Amino acid sequence: MQLDANFFKPFVDGAMKTFEISCKLKALPQKPFLKGSQPQPEFAIAGVIGLTSPKFNGNITLCFPAPVFLAAMSSMLGEDFKEITDDLQDGVAELLNIIYGQAKVVLNQQGHAVEKAIPSVIRGSQIRTTAVSSTPVMVLPFKTDAGEFHIEICSE
Amino acid sequence: MFGPTTKVLVVDDMLTMRKLVSKTLREIGLTEITEASDGVLAWEAIEKAAPPIELVISDWNMPNCTGMDLLKKIRGSSKHAALPFIMVTAEAEQHQVVEAVKAGVSNYVVKPFTPEALREKLEAVHKKASG
Repeated sequence: MQLDANFFKPFVDGAMKTFEISCKLKALPQKPFLKGSQPQPEFAIAGVIGLTSPKFNGNITLCFPAPVFLAAMSSMLGEDFKEITDDLQDGVAELLNIIYGQAKVVLNQQGHAVEKAIPSVIRGSQIRTTAVSSTPVMVLPFKTDAGEFHIEICSE
Repeated sequence: MFGPTTKVLVVDDMLTMRKLVSKTLREIGLTEITEASDGVLAWEAIEKAAPPIELVISDWNMPNCTGMDLLKKIRGSSKHAALPFIMVTAEAEQHQVVEAVKAGVSNYVVKPFTPEALREKLEAVHKKASG
């Protein structure tokens, strides 16, 4: 399936709403780009969720540099977090789950029949995401007061 | 209305989400909060609690025993059948809402939610329970 703006928009809208309500942070969408065409920040944590429908198979990844994730969690939970701990890491899966849930409703209204999925968490000092297929990966960058985070959409 | 002494059980497999729901409840004045990480542990907490749990706020998607499984278990129990139950979900599609209503959910709240949205749901549930 050809990725287009109608497919990305529910994820952009979902991320903005989720950050504003849950994290009390403005997440301003920046210009999307194809992965590899621009440098990306070093990510410390990412949530990945498979997206399966009759029209699309792929995955959605929500990637954070450590300071951005810590700022989001600190604001969301009302505590001052200094490092990403085991207790805190499922926050990235929860944020992705909420964004995915909102996007799923909109995409299914458009006839995509997106199925329920469970996110998983990747954590490390310098996470690099790489596409496993030859299909271009679309990067949706967002700017916050704490820095940038990215959503990557990869189709098989 | 539910108040500071209302015993609430928050059920979610995600620790950060349990913390967020509990924080939101405290913001709107409910402080007697117990947490459980899945439906099995939640049921144990409901069975053992003294004084009894008066309100359950549960995530839908959880391993072992989902929020829907827990809701059906509660509604099928003679002792706890009337326990107010709010389902939390990130995927508020029509068919899911219908499924939850058929299973006897008191109300549902869609993530992300504000303290005001949760307060409105609590008020609606309390009104229904006392009416």
